[in-house]
Parts: sequence; C-alpha cells; structure tokens
Amino acid sequence: MSTGPRRFRFPLWIVLGGVLVVALVIGSGVLNSAPVTPAQRAVAIETRIKCPSCEDLSVANSSAQTAVIVRGTVGQLIGEGKSDQQIEAYLVSRYGSAIVLVPPASGWSLLVWVLPLGGGAVALAVLTVVLVRKRRNGVVDPTEAARLETELDAGASSDQLDTRRQFLEQSLADAFAEHRAGDLSDHDYQTLRRRDTARLAALDIRMVEADDLAAAGADGSVATAVAADVDEGDQGAGVRPVDTPGSTPTAVPVPAPRRSRRQRLLISGAVASFAAALVLVVALFAANRLPGQTPTGNPTLSQQAQVQQSLDQAATLENEGQPGAAAQLYQKVLGQDPQNEVAVAQLGWLEYQTGAQGNSPSLIADARAKLEQAVKLNPTDYAARLYLGTVFLDQDHDASGAVAQYQAFLAANPPASLLQQAASLLRQAYTQAGMPVPSSVPAA
Amino acid sequence: MGKHRARWIGITVLVVAAGLIAVLAGRPSASVAEVQSPLVGHPAPAIVGTTLDGAGFSVSRASGHFVVLNFFASWCAPCQQEGPDLVTFQFEHQQAGDASMVSVVFGDTLSAARTYQKTLGATWPTLTDGNGKLALAYGVSDRPTTFVIAPDGRVVAYIVGAVTAKGLDRVIAAAKATEA
Amino acid sequence: MNAAFGDTGVLLGFAAAVVGVLVLAIGLAKGRESTIRAGQLYAPLVLVGGLIAAVAMEHALVTHDFSVAFVADNNSRETPRLYSITGLWSALSGSILLWGLILGGYATAMVWRFRRRAAEPLVAWATLVVYGVAAFFFGLMLHVTNPFQHVVGKVPVDGAGPNSLLQDNPLQAIHPPLLYLGFVGFTLPFAFAIGSLVTGRLDSAWQRETRRWTLFAWTFLTVGIVLGALWSYQVLGWGGFWAWDPVENASFLPWLVGTAYLHSVMVQERRGLLRIWNLALVISTFSLTILGTFLTRSGVIQSVHAFSNSTIGPLLLGFFGLTLVTGLGLIAWRGDNLRSVGGIDSAISREGAFLANNLLFVAFAFVVLLGTVFPLLYEALNGGRQITVGAPYFNRLVIPIALGLLFLMAVAPALPWRKTSVEVMRGRLAVPAVLAVLVVVACVVGGIRGTEPLAAFGLGAFAAASAGRALALSVRLSWRGARLSGASPARSVLAGWRGFVGRANGGMVVHIGVVVIAIGLAAATSFGHRTEVALSPGQSASFAGHTIHFVGTRSVKTPSRSAFEAVLRVDGQGNYLPAITQFGAGSQDVGTPAIDAGWRDDVYLTIDATSTTGSRLTFGVVIQPLVMWLWVGGALLVFGSILSAVPGRRRRPTDPVSAVPESVASDHQSAPAPAHPPSVGMGAGIDRDGGAEPLADPEPVQVGN
Repeated sequence: MSTGPRRFRFPLWIVLGGVLVVALVIGSGVLNSAPVTPAQRAVAIETRIKCPSCEDLSVANSSAQTAVIVRGTVGQLIGEGKSDQQIEAYLVSRYGSAIVLVPPASGWSLLVWVLPLGGGAVALAVLTVVLVRKRRNGVVDPTEAARLETELDAGASSDQLDTRRQFLEQSLADAFAEHRAGDLSDHDYQTLRRRDTARLAALDIRMVEADDLAAAGADGSVATAVAADVDEGDQGAGVRPVDTPGSTPTAVPVPAPRRSRRQRLLISGAVASFAAALVLVVALFAANRLPGQTPTGNPTLSQQAQVQQSLDQAATLENEGQPGAAAQLYQKVLGQDPQNEVAVAQLGWLEYQTGAQGNSPSLIADARAKLEQAVKLNPTDYAARLYLGTVFLDQDHDASGAVAQYQAFLAANPPASLLQQAASLLRQAYTQAGMPVPSSVPAA
Repeated sequence: MGKHRARWIGITVLVVAAGLIAVLAGRPSASVAEVQSPLVGHPAPAIVGTTLDGAGFSVSRASGHFVVLNFFASWCAPCQQEGPDLVTFQFEHQQAGDASMVSVVFGDTLSAARTYQKTLGATWPTLTDGNGKLALAYGVSDRPTTFVIAPDGRVVAYIVGAVTAKGLDRVIAAAKATEA
Repeated sequence: MNAAFGDTGVLLGFAAAVVGVLVLAIGLAKGRESTIRAGQLYAPLVLVGGLIAAVAMEHALVTHDFSVAFVADNNSRETPRLYSITGLWSALSGSILLWGLILGGYATAMVWRFRRRAAEPLVAWATLVVYGVAAFFFGLMLHVTNPFQHVVGKVPVDGAGPNSLLQDNPLQAIHPPLLYLGFVGFTLPFAFAIGSLVTGRLDSAWQRETRRWTLFAWTFLTVGIVLGALWSYQVLGWGGFWAWDPVENASFLPWLVGTAYLHSVMVQERRGLLRIWNLALVISTFSLTILGTFLTRSGVIQSVHAFSNSTIGPLLLGFFGLTLVTGLGLIAWRGDNLRSVGGIDSAISREGAFLANNLLFVAFAFVVLLGTVFPLLYEALNGGRQITVGAPYFNRLVIPIALGLLFLMAVAPALPWRKTSVEVMRGRLAVPAVLAVLVVVACVVGGIRGTEPLAAFGLGAFAAASAGRALALSVRLSWRGARLSGASPARSVLAGWRGFVGRANGGMVVHIGVVVIAIGLAAATSFGHRTEVALSPGQSASFAGHTIHFVGTRSVKTPSRSAFEAVLRVDGQGNYLPAITQFGAGSQDVGTPAIDAGWRDDVYLTIDATSTTGSRLTFGVVIQPLVMWLWVGGALLVFGSILSAVPGRRRRPTDPVSAVPESVASDHQSAPAPAHPPSVGMGAGIDRDGGAEPLADPEPVQVGN
C-alpha cells in the first residue's frame, strides 16, 4: 500500500518478526548443542522422581533423608552407565509406580494426557461454532440479514423475541458508541448499522405476528375475528413502527398491581421473639440438643393466591418492559379465571400498545374488545376505564367518548399517583371535548 | 443441539460429574489406604550391612526361616509403640526357630538408636545403613516400615506403621498356609 | 462453660439458617411479601450464632481450656498468645467454624445491602440459597465436626500444641482467614446465579451484583493464595513457593474460574452475550470451592495441608453433588430460555479476545483439576495401582496456556469491541511489540537461554507495555479533562491520578501485577540454583555468585520453642539464622529457613544435616532470581483491585476502548453518548449502566410497586 515510489515505509512488523525469530533461535540454545553433562542428566531425572517421604516434592527439591538417598543412588547409577529409563525402572521396582511424578503415557494414565488435548479439541469446536455463527452475523447484505432473522425467529417464544430485540437494540447503540469513539471505522459502522436495522425490522414484523397469534389462542371469544386478521396484520407490520408517528400511543402509566396487605410487623416481631427465646432456651440448657421445631407451612397455593401471584408477577414484568412475558402470564390467569377483569384489561392494553405500534387494525380491534369486556366485567375498574378512554382518544379521536370513560375512571377513586400520571391525558381529552377539566384532575 | 443446546451440555456435564463423584465416594481415606510395595511377591533384596556393634552382617537369600525386617528411628512415636511387640515376637519365635528379627536404623543418630534398642531389650541385630542403601533397596519412605520375608527369600508382607506381635504371627501363618 | 456457649452459638446459627430457609420458602411459595421480608431477618442471627461460637472457641484457646477436645489437640500451655488465637483455623473443625462465621457475615452484608429490595423474588431466592449453605456448614458443626466436643476421659493437664509448621510464622494469622474470605465469598455469586435461574431473570441487576461480590471474593482469594505461597516459601524449607499440592490446587481452581468469569461478564454487560456461560462459571466457581474443601479435608488425598481424616468427606462430597445437580439441573431446565440470542461479529474484537481468554482459563482449570484428582481416578480404574501427578506434568501443560494468556493480556486491551482492522491494531500495538522484542533481544544478549523463560519475558513485556499504554491514555484523558474544565496546570497534572482509578484502569494495574508475578515465576523456576555445602564454623563457601560464611551456632530456648541456630553471613552482610526448631517437648524437629531477600535474587538457607562428630553442618543453599517480584506482583494485584473499587469518574471496561470519559466529553463535546435509538415503544429500555461501581451506585431502585 505504498502511496508513492519515493516514500519509504519502514517495514516494522517484518523487522520485528525477523529479529524475534533470530533471538529466539539463539536463545533456545538449539545452536550450541553441547553434550549433556552427567550432572544435568541427574537433575533431569531427579526432577521427575518424587521424594519418597514427601507429599509432592521431587527429590531434586527436597532435602529429606530419603531424597538424599535417592539422589545418591541416581548419581551412582549414572556413573555405572545406566540409561535414564533403566534408572527410573530401578526406582519404580523398589518404590512402586507412584515414585515418578510424571504419569506414563500408556495404559489408563494415557487419559491424563489425552483428556486435556480432547478438551482443547472441544474448545476449538466451540470456537468453530462461534465462527459459524459469526458467518451468520457477518452477513452484510441487509435483505439477506432480514431473511435470516425471519428464519431465526420462526417458532421463537415471545420472550425470546423480546430478548432478541433487546439484543439488537443494544447492538445498534453499541456500534453507535464505538463509532463515535473512533474505534469502529465508518464503513464497518454503516455495514453493522444497516444489517442490524434490517434485522430489527424483520423481528418487529415477527413480534407483531406472534402477539396476534397469542391473542388468538388466548381468548376463544375473539379467536375467529383475529384469525381472519392475521394476514392483514402481516401487511400492516411491514411498516417500521418508528416510521408511523401518527399511531404512536400516548404513554399511559400502568396502574399499580393490586396487592393485598399483610401483617408485616407481626411476623417480624414473632421472628425476633423466637430468636430471643431460642438463645435463652439453648443457653439455659446448653447441650447438644436438636434445634426447636421449625415452623411448618402448607406450600400448596389456593387458586386465588396463584392468580394474585401471577398478576403481581405480570405487573412487575410489564413495568420492566417485558410485555411479551407479561401477556403470557395474563393469559395464564385467564385460563384459570376467564372472568378476571384485571387480566382482561391488562392484556387488552398490551395488545393495544403493540397494535398501535405495529399499525395492526386487527390487534387494535381485539384490544378494544378486551377492554370493553373488562369494563363490562367490572364497571368500576379504573384501569380499564383509563385504557378504554385512551383508545377512544388516540385511535378514534373521539374526545367525548374518551371523556365518558375518564369520568368513570375518576369516579372509581384511582390512586393519586396514577391520577398524577394520567393528568395530562385527561386534560387533553376534556379540552378537546370542550368540557371543563374536573377539579380532581391535578394541575400541570 | 440447536434448540436445547444448554440442556444437553448441562446434562452431559452432570453425567461426567456424577462419575467423578462416584469414583471419589468409592475412595478410601488415604491414611487407611493400603500402601503397596512392588517387592511383595518378589525376591527380597540382600540384607547386608554393619550392626550397631560394628560387626558385619548378612542374611543369606533363602534363609530357611522367616525374616522380619524393621526400619525404625528412636524418636518416632509409632516405632516406640511397636517396640515391645517386636520384643515379644522375637522372644516367641526364637524358641520356635521359625522366624528372626533384623532392625535397620532409618533417619536417626546411631547413638540414639543404640540407647533405644538397649532400653527396649532388643537383642537381635540392628543394622546402621549409613548410606541408606538398604532403605533404598527396599523402597522405604516412612518409619516404621516392616517387611516379612519368607523362608524361600520372597517378600510376603509390607507394613507401614506400627505392627503388633499378633499381626506378625497372622502374616506368617497366612504365608505358611499358602506355601503348604 | 466455653463449650456450652459454643454449642449455643452453633445451634443458634443452624436454627436460624434452617428457619430462614423455611420462612423464605413459604414466603416464595405463597407469594407473601411480608413473609419474604421477615425471612431476611435470620441472616444476622446466623452471624450472631457464628460469632458466639467463634468467641467461645477463642476464649477456650486463649485460656487453654483443655476440656474441649479441639483445644487439647491444637493448643498447649506454652503456645504463645498469637498462635493460640490462630489455633481456631489450625485444624478441621475450627476451620469449619471460621467458615460458618464468615458465611454469617456475608449473609448479613447481603441482606443489609438488599434491604430495600428484599421482597424481590431474585433476592429472596438468593438469600434462601445462602441460608441453605449456612445450614449445611452449621449442621456439620452440630455433629460430625463439632468443634466443642468434650475430651474423652479425664481433662488433660496440657494439650498437644498446634502442628509445628503452624506456629512458625505470623503469616499463619492472616493467610487462612483471607483465603476463607475468598472461598466463602463465592457463595453469594452462586446464590444470585441460582436465584436468577429459578426466577428466570437474567437482567443487569443480576450481573452487577454477582460481578461485584465475585470481585470482592476474588480479591481476598488472590491475597490468600499469594500469602499462602509466601508462607510456604518462608516455612516449608525447600525454597519453593508452589508445589502443585492438592490444597494449593484447591484454592487455585476457584480463582481460575472466577477470573474467567470476571472477564466474560464484561461481554454480557456490554453485548448481552454469554449469559448461560457466565451462570455456569459462577456455579462452577462455588462448586469448586466445595470440591476443593472435600479433596483436602476428607483425607482422600495426602497433602502437606490435609487435616486428619474424618467423617466429613461423604457429607462434603454429597454437598458438592447437590450444588452441581442444582446448578447444572437448573441450567438444563431453564438455560435454553435464557440463552443469549446474538453472536460475535468478528473474532478479532474485544469479545473474541474475552472468549479466547475464557477458553484458556477453563482449559487451565481443567488441567489443574484433572491433575489433582487423576491419581484417585487411576486407582479406581486400575485396581489400586498408584501413580503420582506432579509438578512436571502441570508445568508441561500449564506453561503454554499461561503464555497464551500473557499474549491475550497484551493484545486484548488494545482491541476495540465489535470489529477491528489490521491497520488499527498495528498502530496500537507497535510500541508494546517493539518493547517486547527489545526485551527478548536484551535477554538473549545478556546470556539468558531457554525458550520458555524468553517467551515469558517477552510476552510479559508486551502485556505490561499494553497495560501501561491503556493507563497512560487514561491518565492523559483525565489530565486533559481537568485542564479543559479550567483547572490550573498543576492541578490538572494532579488530576491525572484519576486515570488509575476505576474498574478498567484498576484492571490494568492488576494485569501489570500478574505480569510481574509471571516474570518472577519464570525467572525463579528456570534459573534457580541449589546445592548443599558442609561447613565448619569460620569456613566460607561460594555458590552462584554469593559467598556464605558460617560464623557459628547457638541455642535459643523460650517456653514455646527450643531452637538450634546457625549464624551465617551472606556476602559479608547480616546475620542469617537458619534453625532446627522444636516446638514443645516431644514434637518433631522442623527446619526453619533463613532468607536473604533482594531485588535481584534471594539466598535461601536451611540446615540440612548436623553431624554427630564435631560442629560441621550441612547447609542447603537455594539461590533464585526475582523471587521478590512475586510478592511485589501480589501487592500490585491487591492495589489494582482496590483501585478498581474506588468511586469516581472513570472509564468503564465496557465503554468503547477509545471512549472519552463523560467528565471530559461533557466539556468539549455535545451530549454524553446518546444511545442510538432504533425505535421507540414496547421494547424495554436498555440498561447501559452495567459498569457502575459498588460505591458510586445510587441506592437500588425498588422495582415493583
């Protein structure tokens, strides 16, 4: 890569390599092959022979009496002209095979040499797998990358899709940072970015489909309607969500999961007094007695408790941005209790968010049906009211319809924190409907 | 592979580990494990040397009776423990004439060994083994170590740690039984 | 009295751990938050139990209460106070007690740290696992290794005293506790790994906590291992510091795997890859501490350190099996759902280097493990025939791996994430490579022969220069940042110290420490000389460039020891006193070496033999170069680990390699690293905060409602 005939580039790496090779060849002592002296032979043998009365030292390293005896014998046998093998064999005939510190490369003990090499082979295999995967990752053509992505995602659970999405998003952010810091060349950055963006698009399509299917499987009542819409969803999802600003849903906070309160203090107190009593009792009788009875409990959960647990978990997942996993849990709840309004409402809301992003009318319709069902199941469910109102406002631009729902929301005594978060939405709806904002809505 | 890669790798490692655990569980503690000598069943190396009294000593290869060869040091606790038993053994078999004792000093000063043997009442020959030739020929690594050599010159037993007179009797009885 | 209190403590610890497990299990099963929170209260009780027992044992040791069998076996009236105190960890049951105490401390620290997040299933599960481990160890103390067992028969007037080797050097006071702090510390990462597998949560919270606790335990383990080497050098009298003894291997195995984890976790933080692999490493690290304890404490392997055999073996082995079955079983069950979904873009990248590093570390650990247990396997396979796997075997297999690791240490710090080009690497590695070649050439010219030591010196220089380059860049950035923010030139230069602080920079200091150790090891093992010289008082001998003059002998007698010392001068300097020492009447003589330590080389002197006639003594003389480097390198390791925990603005290892720290960036660039937003919406926000450090962290935010 010389830029001109006159410019001389110092071939640094070639010179370095050459110097290194020469230095190592001289340094390895290959050139001056002086004959091995008997003393060198003795040391070589002695480092391979275990000191008989030590645990893991060689006779070369030990000053134990037995080691001194062996050293003397080795020197004498060398003087007698015995070969290294003969000397070793003699010692083995007296002390047994355990006297040699190096396991022989024969019989069963061959394993100790072969297994690390086999392990190395496995390690190489792992590397190969990574490289094969790298070839998949190394695809630079965006179209091809998208096709591979679709292939990869086929049959994946919504959880997996979600993780995959996180990974791709992180990869993009990552490449951006690397590029900005100057560690990634412009060309590499563009390649990576184009590829990952294409993958992300393919993944998003797949995710919307998966959510459609999940919704279809979840609720028999809407199954037929959604099933007919799958194709439609497909077409809709072809558009990148980020490119459809019109349908971006307004961020509405998820209401806090409704958790039952328990007697925290009571148990803490019981534990403390139990511990105190234990110390007292044991100190008094100080003997090797077995510990006191441990509290026992019935680990099987009532169905109600299970439902509550699932709902709590799902809410946590939702808060953590794992809508797919949350949706699965809500569906599980519906399997146990089809009339659970919390699950119906939350599921509807999740579907709506996905549908709005993926621009999928079928999903939105399904979501709407769910939210309406939730409102029917429990007219005073403030969350369902809030969600439904938001759907009216965002999708139908029906401010008065939204206000009707919001009024019910306000009437259901929602928690203050939720009210605070929803305030701007409410004000927007009331203003658009030309109605005065109720005093219970917190000011901006 | 493929979808369930983690599962298969996990199970494989588990199986290998189970094998390892099974092997480890089957191992006796090293302190009770039988130590072996390659000499057992083979002709005993010649017992030649100088006694504490300065006399030359040697046992012919096929001595015609059992020889109990005991490596010891005066300061070692198990040696002190087995001492009286060795005296008993020697006394009993001297009369029967079917076995004799030979001791070898292993890692001790000669004066200490001499005093020790005198106090113990050991009347049998005790070899000095100044250059460790005997210890090496017999592959001795610890003290006390006892070899039992059959009348035909084969090593029949190798015992590391304190022996008892009864234990030696049993070894000799067993050796006689297999011979017969 | 002491025993009564001790038993109480053990019982309390055991009961608290068992009840803690049950309460948490019930709480988790019923999903009852209050119960789960209550379950956290048992950790301090475990600690209190351990403390009561340990204090009772120390009191018994210091007051020579020989009614306790442990005291009668490991203490005597003549034992000095210091070695009475260290008596706690000088034998099996006491060291299990120390284990329980430290575990109680860790459990309490963990519960305290997570007090605000106590109700999260992940934390609850992790606490449950820690309680389970504590219950096991306190359970051992209840029965099989009860440290407070009464002596059989009459209470003896005096005890046997500790093992002679264990009252020879004050290092005995700190080396075992530090090692245990390391060993036991791996319980917490293990607990979090199990917790995340059970709950199916593999988020950044998991890795942050696990990485932190691992680093903590790793640092202690490192210090413990280095001090152990120093102890064996100063006490055992053969002039070496590492013999591939099973106990040494047992402490080295978790260190190797833990080190692999500390590296690979960065790939997870940065790229979200290797998630199952990291879990497996954490679980293996803990399992290996248990396996190591089994190997050395059950008596299946003879070793200088092995405590007398006891019935503890099968229990420890069973516990090892349990941890493996739990860990691997969970991975088999949950693993495929938790697998990371992406791949590595290019093999020549930081990720690729970390992957290679991990393979080498795991291969290293495999060789060490195999070599340690192979004699047992062989005996089982071969009907009782015995073989020994010793230093020559380990050296042959381990040296190439170690050289490979040195090479990676040189290249990896310069590698960018994602992808790189030959041109970039050429530029970054030119100076270190030139330095490395110069070092090799200088060594060859200086007359050093041998491929392995030359490779070690060259690669060591390469790695050190590469680490130095990273540090220099970071110092320059800090300095420049300070100057740009308007500090005076003098203050700016001072601000450069920040370039040494933080995880990435501290890590580079650790790298330099490792290089220093590697060079010391290569030099000392390749170019050592040893001989024996017989001298009469007044005579001198020359060996390997040093003159040893034998002045005379003297006898020293204190209540606890009587010693026969030789007075030697090395090169006309100093008084070096190798000795033969007897600790208490009737115990075996032990040789005590004397060391003339220097930067260039150490002269190690022992009395190998006394003669019955006259005052002529045979001295063992070992001269090894650069031994001092081992201890200096160890100190650098600790220093680097501490630096990486110091809070402040700094470079994170997961930042782009050439990243400008935020403090600097905000001064002369627009916005600090906006994550390229590919889309908005339902995908979760990406946690990019994986690199935050323990002390700098804001209190964890409570998740849930």
